[in-house]
Amino acid sequence: MSESSTFLETIHQGMYIIVLIILAVMLFACLIRAVKGPRVADRIVAVNMMGTMVMVMIAVLSLYLKEGFLIDVCLIYALVSFLAVIVIAKVYMGVYEEKYHIDENVEADKEGEKPYGDS
Amino acid sequence: MEILEWIRLIAGGALLISGLTIFLIELYGIFHLKYVLNRMHAAAMGDTLGISFSLVGLMILSGFNFTTLKMALIVVFLWFASPVSSHLLARLEVSTNENLNKHCQVYPNLESLERELKEEKEKETGGDSK
Repeated sequence: MSESSTFLETIHQGMYIIVLIILAVMLFACLIRAVKGPRVADRIVAVNMMGTMVMVMIAVLSLYLKEGFLIDVCLIYALVSFLAVIVIAKVYMGVYEEKYHIDENVEADKEGEKPYGDS
Repeated sequence: MEILEWIRLIAGGALLISGLTIFLIELYGIFHLKYVLNRMHAAAMGDTLGISFSLVGLMILSGFNFTTLKMALIVVFLWFASPVSSHLLARLEVSTNENLNKHCQVYPNLESLERELKEEKEKETGGDSK
């Protein structure tokens, strides 16, 4: 009985290790996409994907080490990665507006038409 | 009792492997498609289906305890978070790309789209009557 249960345990551990290795390889491919991506949105999509894969990795690791608290880390990781995507998208949109539409505002000011009220 | 453990291992392992397969398809789509708005379709698949399959497999493997509930919470959270972040990224791309017309046709408002659709429809029905 105990022999077969240790055998089962060995199979579990081996499966977790194999899954972790496959996920690590896919994470590296995602990183290549994030470096190559021609546009900013490409990079953010790739980073979001990496976050999802890291979540699965942490969950597998928590079963591999039999530590329940790692699932809490996974939950917090999900929250933080969502927040990061939102903040990066908003900040980049603001930077873009400042960078490329400041000339139009200056020209409008020269003509005496203030686009943002009287301030 | 021993056979039940084996069934649990096989079911959980199969779900985990199918989740990894979904991730692999997602990765293929990311490298195969040419534009961000197309790539987003592939990326959204892993955020919902891939992590759902993987975590349901891990739930079956971990058994019935508090960890299972937390894993379900992660899946439910991602169902809400993924569409929101995809929407924001699409809006970022549309508002910052200067020559979006090269990749997809953009209509300035809804009326022009409706007009074009009506013209196409009339053309089709006219062709049929002739």
